[in-house]
Amino acid sequence: MSNKIRYISEDHLITRQNRAEAEFLAAFAAEKPTFAQPQVVHNPYLINPLCALVMFTTSEAVAPTLTVHGRRYERENLSHTFKAATEHFLPVLGLYEDFANTVSVTLPDGRTTTLTIRTGKLPAEVCRCLNVQASLDYLGDAIMFLSPAGKNLPTAYDYKGDIRWLLTENTMFDIKRMKNGNIVTGSSRFCHMPYNCTGLIEINLLGKIYKEYRMPGNYHHDHLEMDNGDILALTQDFSRDTVEDMCVLLDRDSGAIKKTWDYRRVLPMNVGGSGSQDAHDWFHNNAVWYDKRSNSLTLSGRHQDAVINIDYESGDLNWIIGDPEGWPQEMVDKYFFTPVGDVANFDWQYEQHACVVCPDGDVMCFDNGQYRAKVKDKYIANRDNFSRGVRYRIDTVKMEIEQVWQYGKERGAEFFSPYICNVEYYDEGHYMIHSGGIGREHGYASPSLGAFLDMKDPNAELRSITVEEKDGVVLYQLETEGNFYRAEKLPLYHGGDNLVLGEGRLLGSLEVTEEFDTVPEAEEVFELPPSFHNLLIEEDEDRFVFHGKFEKGTLAMLCLENGDESHHYFLNTSASWHLAMCSGAFLEKDERDIKIHISKLGLHGMFAVKLIINDRKYQTGVSICCP
Amino acid sequence: MINEINEQEYAALDPKAAKMIEFYSKTCGPCKMLSFVLKDIARQKPEFPIYIVDFDENRELKERLGVKGFPTMLFYKEGREVSRLEGLKQKPAIITAIEALA
Repeated sequence: MSNKIRYISEDHLITRQNRAEAEFLAAFAAEKPTFAQPQVVHNPYLINPLCALVMFTTSEAVAPTLTVHGRRYERENLSHTFKAATEHFLPVLGLYEDFANTVSVTLPDGRTTTLTIRTGKLPAEVCRCLNVQASLDYLGDAIMFLSPAGKNLPTAYDYKGDIRWLLTENTMFDIKRMKNGNIVTGSSRFCHMPYNCTGLIEINLLGKIYKEYRMPGNYHHDHLEMDNGDILALTQDFSRDTVEDMCVLLDRDSGAIKKTWDYRRVLPMNVGGSGSQDAHDWFHNNAVWYDKRSNSLTLSGRHQDAVINIDYESGDLNWIIGDPEGWPQEMVDKYFFTPVGDVANFDWQYEQHACVVCPDGDVMCFDNGQYRAKVKDKYIANRDNFSRGVRYRIDTVKMEIEQVWQYGKERGAEFFSPYICNVEYYDEGHYMIHSGGIGREHGYASPSLGAFLDMKDPNAELRSITVEEKDGVVLYQLETEGNFYRAEKLPLYHGGDNLVLGEGRLLGSLEVTEEFDTVPEAEEVFELPPSFHNLLIEEDEDRFVFHGKFEKGTLAMLCLENGDESHHYFLNTSASWHLAMCSGAFLEKDERDIKIHISKLGLHGMFAVKLIINDRKYQTGVSICCP
Repeated sequence: MINEINEQEYAALDPKAAKMIEFYSKTCGPCKMLSFVLKDIARQKPEFPIYIVDFDENRELKERLGVKGFPTMLFYKEGREVSRLEGLKQKPAIITAIEALA
């Protein structure tokens, strides 16, 4: 095999989408398509193969109604009436895969244009529905959106289990609809292992990115919209020796960080550890919730088996829900609750996700239950364990807690997810419980997290089960292949602007990537590194990602050099085992494969990329341009 | 000044002297990088004794000192461990730990 280095330079997706939009708008302006012969663009923003855009003009301002016809019968039709206009840009959402979809547009005067929009097959690796128990009566126009927990894709399923929405970008973590109808979720751009991405993206369901909110500490796990539109987002400070222990408030317009909460200020890091805790990821914050009534943040910390509440203004600790074993007595006395009511059936939550504060102040979460104890001797094996949704009623004066609802314990290990998952509160007695991290080997709950299972092994399987229960009756259950981080039930169309034209924006900033101040002695050679290293450099507008394969223990350093300056980045070639892997999107199958993201922030000019491997410094022939 | 030592030589060190003991492995990339960092520090602080110990060949010693992984740097003064750094660190962090022994 000859030595070679692959190099890919690609504009940011926002730039590519801006270009695509400018092209179809130019065609629209030139052709002025009529209602009878509208212009149709399939997948206009490049990342949603199950959508289209229908464009036409009318002489008078009218409000058209678009209908995506059901595959089986009229009752399955999805219809939406858009605002009156003379230039119409109608998103077509919810197309069926590999199908000649019938789409009709009707004007208030009764005129109708009917179109056929043909879609292709979805990528082979798409996770399929295996079982669904649902009805149109129950779901209405809503479909179930599942956000990926690995290299699978964000996917939404209708009442028959048909895929009606999918992005071909591996976006990350939670999907939430904002008050303006847009979706905010994690970007697909890798930054730091195990699963930190550049930030959040605000998109519509066509897949158009309106904004990417970049953050120096990256984004992980969860975010929440505030009343004024600003966004709470979970992050960290990579200059510290701990992770997943900070939250920030992002300005919705500028992306600027307006406020920061640091849990190290209020919690000891070396107590109350769950079975997955280590010193680096001591808290593992996987959810945030703002409660207006108490002006407080409720935060889930998987690695302390704790749901904590802090004051929004001061960041001071108010209370902790969790098994108090292993915590200092003075903290137990001050912050922890005592179970009351049916204590015989009371269970604490362990390694939980997705805390929710109900309108009455009750606290819900998905109790993954991994280990289900605070000390090793009492740990419960996954195959003997259970996961559940749980609702606790808390009295913050008496410091008492009562378990008022749970779903899942009765299902045992079949419903067990050691990681990820969520619950949703719809109304009193009406909840969603999403157990999206089920991993089985030989039919038993695997001792490993799903992200680590070898899916080439025919005895291994990943499953995601989403249940909705109302007044104790299960009205919906979706079982799919794969693991999915969270579920969110949404209608495809909403009452706001389903498409706003105009350029998407890249907001905020990445970090200045930490350099290494010592450079190992190495002989510079004017040749490429051996082909074994399988090097790939992907350059983006604001950073580049270096990929390579290195035997464990190799000394490796990436060097950026020009005549005036040089920058050095250490490559860690040690195999590392992560105790949490809530999204395996960036996980490599071969542990010798490593990647490092380097932000262009702070770098200016053209730099030759060189690579030190043990005692030799190799050329790559690649130059990086930093504005 | 950097010297490689084994368990016996560790036992013979002056217990009261300020020093750093680094546990490394030959199979560890960060340890290899740290060796260059320590060389730089030794040039900056030639009077400060740095001892390196092969983690894999001195298992009893690393167990006794509670060393769980590599690289690990232990900082001693007056016969007791004052601080430790785990994992690859850059010069400023190590120099700070050394200067704290003064």
